[in-house]
Amino acid sequence: MDKIWGKKPRKSDKKKKGTSNYAYAVTRVRAMKSKLLPKETYPRLMNMGIDEITRFIQESEYKNDIDELAMKYSGADLAEHALNRNLALTYAKLLLITAGEPNYLISEYLRRYDIWNIKTLLRGKQYNASEEEILETLISAGELTYTTLSELAAMESYEEIIEALNETDYYPLLQEEYDGTNLAYIENELDKMYYSGLFGVIGKPRSKDRKLFARFIKLEVDAKNMGTLFRLKKAGVEQLDEIMPLMIEGGLELNTEKLASLPYEEFVEALRKTRYWDAISGVMVPDMDSLTGLECRLLKFSLESATTYSHVSPISIVPIMDYIIYKNNEVNNLRIIFRGKEAGLEDELIKDQLVVI
Amino acid sequence: MVGEDLVVAASGPILDAAGMKALGAALAITITGLASAWAEKEIGTAAIGAMAENEGLFGKGLILTVIPETIVIFGLVASLLINSA
Repeated sequence: MDKIWGKKPRKSDKKKKGTSNYAYAVTRVRAMKSKLLPKETYPRLMNMGIDEITRFIQESEYKNDIDELAMKYSGADLAEHALNRNLALTYAKLLLITAGEPNYLISEYLRRYDIWNIKTLLRGKQYNASEEEILETLISAGELTYTTLSELAAMESYEEIIEALNETDYYPLLQEEYDGTNLAYIENELDKMYYSGLFGVIGKPRSKDRKLFARFIKLEVDAKNMGTLFRLKKAGVEQLDEIMPLMIEGGLELNTEKLASLPYEEFVEALRKTRYWDAISGVMVPDMDSLTGLECRLLKFSLESATTYSHVSPISIVPIMDYIIYKNNEVNNLRIIFRGKEAGLEDELIKDQLVVI
Repeated sequence: MVGEDLVVAASGPILDAAGMKALGAALAITITGLASAWAEKEIGTAAIGAMAENEGLFGKGLILTVIPETIVIFGLVASLLINSA
């Protein structure tokens, strides 16, 4: 296993290395963004069957992934694997074409996929999912390679997986806290660890790049916290000591402590004063029974604000981050369409889940 | 000339009028040369980045890359004018 992990990063690795060469990276990323599926494509995809959609995306950027995996999988499984593979390769490409500061910030940002994969592996083992089912949802865009992840997925129990992760930063938490039943708690702690690690990396932002990156992450934290708060308020949880451990620190605008102590109506009232209100007001009906609409609006807001900022700071990390979240969104949209079609959901229901800009 | 007053050293002028002209012409071409090189480097790398994804952008990239060449041409014209004055 040591061979797969390679050497542990030295402290000096974390320092800025080489030149950033933003002109090259940003223009290339913008050219990559122009190849994403345009919004007019989605209504067309909705009218197609699974095989037709697969053929359609085979003619786009997903060609190599579908060609290579077509021998092994078929139908929606093929699409799922191809999408995940494409996402991982695209992000790996971003790391290859950047150097210095942006490369470092992107690699730290992509650690979220390590967290995602660890969560998936533990969840899979807890519910006795098959190796194949687990592999379907893994995205090897972080530090853990697909080979490592496949080995982990093939392991019998969660204890073995945790033991195999002993070279990672997540090991102490998993080793000490996870007992096979408290998955929700561990997932939340992993998220908190990810964001505190990311804020640690940014440090006290001095360069323009780090300031923009920090803002980007803070916006994401606010969106996550808002979703959690809505869920908890809807479930009637109002105790501060129950809510606060679930909050991620470091948001941009939301004062989580203040919002957590408010009852639902006052909480919604308090949100009116925030920058997010214009984005979410459309779904703020008194008897809101699903949070999907809210989450879609928040995602749309973060996508739109990333694009706006990428125009304000064209030669910076923002256009690259903008592409990262747009690509992720495209893959998510396609996955929703594939899985929705496979499960025989109505078109309207699938459309509601899509975030199209 | 003002220049002569400025460069007069204890033992007499280091640069005469012709020397000053030559220095001015050299500075004009050097600075503009460096400026166009820097601008072309930025635009060139960006053009390569775009071309790596889309080969069709070669023509546009090439044209945009050579546009800063005008800076050094202006520098050349200025230095020729200084010399011929």
